[in-house]
Amino acid sequence: MIDHILTLLIAIPLLGALAIAAWPDNRAQNFRMIALVTMILEFLAAVTMYAVFDHSQSGFQLSEAVDWITLPIGSLGVVSIDYALAIDGISFPLILLAVLVLFVGLISSWNIEKRTRGYFSLYLLLSGSVIGCFLAQDFFLFYLFFEFMLLPMYFLIGLWGGPRREYAALKFFIYTFFGSLLILIVMIALYLSAIDPVETARAVGVLGLEDIATKDIIIQLQQWLVEGKIAPEQLVHTFRFAYLADAGNYIPGSILSIVSDFYILDIPVRLLAFWFLFVGFAVKLPVVPVHTWLPDAHVEAPTPISVVLAGILLKIGGYGFIRIVDGFFPVEAEYSTVPLAVLGMISIVYGGFNALGQSDLKKMIAYSSVSHMGFVLLGIAAFTAEGINGAIYQMVSHGVLSAMLFLLAGVVYDRTHDRKIENYRGLIHMMPKYTVLTGIAFFASLGLPGFSGFVGELFTLMGAFQSENMPVWIPALSTLGIVLAAAYFLWTYQRMFFGSFWYKNDNSSHSTTHVLTDLTTRETALLVPLALLALLLGILPGLVFDITGPTVAAWIEGLK
Amino acid sequence: MPDAAYLLPVSLLLGLPFAAFLIFWLGGKGLNKIAGYAGALVTAAGLGISIFFAEPDVLHTVRFDWLVIGSFPIEIAFRFDTLSCIMLVVVHFVALLVQLYSVSYLHHDRNLNRYFAFIQLFLFSMIGIVLSGSLLVMYIFWELVGLSSYLLIGFWYHKPRPVWAAQKAFVLNRIGDAAFLTGILMLFYYIGSTDFEVLSISVDSISPGILTAIGLCLFGGCMGKSAQFPLSGWLPDAMEGPTPVSALIHAATMVAAGIFLLARISFLLTFDARLVIAMIGMITMVIGAIKATSVWDIKRVLAYSTMSQLGLMVMAVGLGSWQTAFFHLTTHAFFKAGLFLSAGSVIHAVTPSEADDQFDPQDMRNMGGLRKALPVTFICFLICASALAGLPFFSGFLSKDAIITEGFLWAGKYGAVGYIFPVVIMLSAGLTAYYMTRQLWLVFFGEKRYHISHHVHPHESPAIMFGPMLLLSALSIFTWFSWNPFDAGSGWFMSFIGVIEPSHLSWVPIAATVVTLVSIFLAYRESKAGNPFHIVSEKQTWAKPSFSFLLDYSNEKYFLVPFAFIAELCKKIEKRSIDAFVEFVAKGSVVLAHVLSWSDRNIVDGGVKLTVFSIRSAGQSVRNLQNGKIQSYLLVTITGVLLLILWLVTF
Repeated sequence: MIDHILTLLIAIPLLGALAIAAWPDNRAQNFRMIALVTMILEFLAAVTMYAVFDHSQSGFQLSEAVDWITLPIGSLGVVSIDYALAIDGISFPLILLAVLVLFVGLISSWNIEKRTRGYFSLYLLLSGSVIGCFLAQDFFLFYLFFEFMLLPMYFLIGLWGGPRREYAALKFFIYTFFGSLLILIVMIALYLSAIDPVETARAVGVLGLEDIATKDIIIQLQQWLVEGKIAPEQLVHTFRFAYLADAGNYIPGSILSIVSDFYILDIPVRLLAFWFLFVGFAVKLPVVPVHTWLPDAHVEAPTPISVVLAGILLKIGGYGFIRIVDGFFPVEAEYSTVPLAVLGMISIVYGGFNALGQSDLKKMIAYSSVSHMGFVLLGIAAFTAEGINGAIYQMVSHGVLSAMLFLLAGVVYDRTHDRKIENYRGLIHMMPKYTVLTGIAFFASLGLPGFSGFVGELFTLMGAFQSENMPVWIPALSTLGIVLAAAYFLWTYQRMFFGSFWYKNDNSSHSTTHVLTDLTTRETALLVPLALLALLLGILPGLVFDITGPTVAAWIEGLK
Repeated sequence: MPDAAYLLPVSLLLGLPFAAFLIFWLGGKGLNKIAGYAGALVTAAGLGISIFFAEPDVLHTVRFDWLVIGSFPIEIAFRFDTLSCIMLVVVHFVALLVQLYSVSYLHHDRNLNRYFAFIQLFLFSMIGIVLSGSLLVMYIFWELVGLSSYLLIGFWYHKPRPVWAAQKAFVLNRIGDAAFLTGILMLFYYIGSTDFEVLSISVDSISPGILTAIGLCLFGGCMGKSAQFPLSGWLPDAMEGPTPVSALIHAATMVAAGIFLLARISFLLTFDARLVIAMIGMITMVIGAIKATSVWDIKRVLAYSTMSQLGLMVMAVGLGSWQTAFFHLTTHAFFKAGLFLSAGSVIHAVTPSEADDQFDPQDMRNMGGLRKALPVTFICFLICASALAGLPFFSGFLSKDAIITEGFLWAGKYGAVGYIFPVVIMLSAGLTAYYMTRQLWLVFFGEKRYHISHHVHPHESPAIMFGPMLLLSALSIFTWFSWNPFDAGSGWFMSFIGVIEPSHLSWVPIAATVVTLVSIFLAYRESKAGNPFHIVSEKQTWAKPSFSFLLDYSNEKYFLVPFAFIAELCKKIEKRSIDAFVEFVAKGSVVLAHVLSWSDRNIVDGGVKLTVFSIRSAGQSVRNLQNGKIQSYLLVTITGVLLLILWLVTF
């Protein structure tokens, strides 16, 4: 069991999805219970993984690898796709976050009444794909999960969403699909350009089928590769992350070879590939200017889907930046520090200004996500230990806080089907508990020390200042983001919660004010642990940094 | 005592108020009756601890590892030294008095437990600032002070204006804090630490230009908290909070945090940075003093006066003498808190017994002649006002003169232009004497104007209120700080904070006294005029009917115009460019799709070819399934999932 814990993490939700799809009767309660049991099992699997994970180690752990597809295709060499899973300090906190957010999302899905069979099985399908994205160690496998995520998401927004759900779902789909396409192109180019040294050694015959490759053999093989001594038929192409991240595995003269002299429009192909990948993941993160799908998707998505979308889907963009974009193109990433950081800065400031201008509560939160994820990009662009650690931390922190924020927005929407900020005033008189928890979430999100948001912003900014390639004005201007965050959160808080109670109803079906009741037990039970978690992470950031630290240090060392 | 022994006071000083905060806050309204006394008790314990562990001239530090990130460990450091020792006593003492005062002042409030909880939260954060041993730790508590100030200004959340003022204060402070954070991060980059000890050793390794930039960034924090131009707009509005809060936070302690910060980092302020700081301080001082001469709200006068005095302290730091600034901070803390509490007593006295919307109990035009009805309050106010105005034999005179003296000495070294600074201080001291005389006259002398409301029956406050006022006025007398009423340098305070050779110019006290007396005379003459202080004029209303976001933030154009412009621009970009582009692409694709589908129907699908084509392509696809091309595998998988989903969603 322990050996296959990662497979289990993917398999549990997928099996749950199947079970729901195949369940004989049609009672909603059954689907809910199956989904709940599935997520509890998933949670237990995550806890087991936490117990087994060695915090001090920097490399990959709990690896599983099986050859999936191996096909010789003549002069193009050999196709090799592996089913490879592993975790390290970079993906581990994000997997824990994913399980947490998906669990929270499921509980908040409890009052979904429409087409429950489809909803819960799609939700579990989405869960399995998200977890798979973080676990995959083979680009092909990663891409598969990455695409799998898109479809359930499209339907979850498009069928269970608000009034303009079809528009939002389609926008989401087109944007992310466009991003995926760019990733696919680079993936194929990478595949054509790099080899699996172990399998190639076996194909060449210097390594027996059962033998374990030593370092010497691999170095020897890479030497032969550089000298062109290996016949093309014998080259085993690969999608494995580990091999793609090693410059020695690139075939000389191939399109993405390290010393490539291919140019398209006078731009080196490797740089172009870097930017393709970047844009692909930038759509997910999202980075201004490819962010406009996010506010629409959030506004139309049902509350649990907003929670999952902001809480974990965006993080796949950040994870992709670290693992794939920076991992395979470190030279280009370092070369592009300034434009990347400027994009991060623009996201921070521009997102903040837009959040200030919103009158829809969910849109305001969505733009605040854009702003907060800008810090992730800034930290990654810095390419320093502080920056990358800070970026991962910021993702975890934002996952917890944005889940909380969207749950809170859902609370008021559930009661009135109205999210206009200016239609509410003095909610504190009707909903005191709700007011306190919203206050905590807002202050935590605007970076009050003691909560996780502060630590994330502090260390991404610190990383940016430490970066040798980044001029000081970029992080200095980015601090404007924390001013704006205070402005839009507090302004919203003032308008909705304080003063004398007043509520304007745009929605004739809910005419009375007595619907504005305080938090239910289920809502409190979801929100309070999240608030405590944000507090815990803010006071003891070491909980995350102890996991990410050694891996990030070794990873940066390896790339430079 | 060894450093490790200081772990105990640190944990007690921070732990006690924090525990009190949690208990009061979560304890509910049942604690309304006892929270005030319990809070005062906790603060008294804190005061005892601060005095017991006070050990001047010796530095004790307590450090904890917080986390290790990248290349360096980050520590949480606390430090005990002379500065923190004085601040601890001042903060605890004023807080103790203010809490006792509040018990009576706010006794009718329903949320008293929350009020005292927030006061304790404020104390926790303020003590954190005072004890912090590194700039990072200070920043953390700095923000928490901002939070507690927000909660206390907006304590009366059912009224729109206090909440608005709270938010304005927080956001304007945040602007300064962003600069403060930038300075901290630059120090992390250039030195690798923000610990005061490390900084004082390695400060020379940074080039002066960068050091100036860092110093000015850090000064940004001071500009926010200590209400320096151009971030000063929040302080007068913060008067929307309960009056004891104004006394504690917006007069004595929190606003002094900026000065405390400057005193802590004075060694890394370069000459250029100091010059900028002195100029900002001067502008603030003059603006505050001028505004204070014309407003009618009793608390706003004091708020502008606080702003002006803070400008004076900032200027003193800029002129190179953080010690005199710190001295003035201490004396100011007592007499300004005393003034606010006295003002509270006045407001308390003239508040109508029944609600009267037409009558503003804070408007000085509705007061007058109160000295008979409120004798104790009058005496306290008079003493504290004399200290503020800088009359001889009061504490304010000593500290203000010390700063003026430093100003003249500095100008002597700098050159003729430098004399602007001390001369402006003198003039602004004259303004101070003028507006305090004006206030004193408007409130306590002249005819009784409060009869416009029939429900106003002025009465003296109970002892629990005037007790703290009396204590604070007693502390505004010179004897506590120096035996020589004309020379601060000969007192214990200056030598306590490490001034070995105090400077003294014997003509400064005389000149300062003359300026003050002339101003008081001018104000007195004005009070005898036909329409004293233009008291009969159109009443300005402070209430703002609309809550337009930008207008709320600042009354000043320099702030508004660029901000509004950017926000508008961003909105436009979002709407007209990015989304419009996407729309264009989307619509373009749809048009293209229609064109293609038309051609598909009419050309491709035409006639018999359809059947042949279909069969052939079907065969092709089945064959392709097995051809080993990755793309096809992917396509098959995705199609499979798609079919599964379609089946699911049609349920």
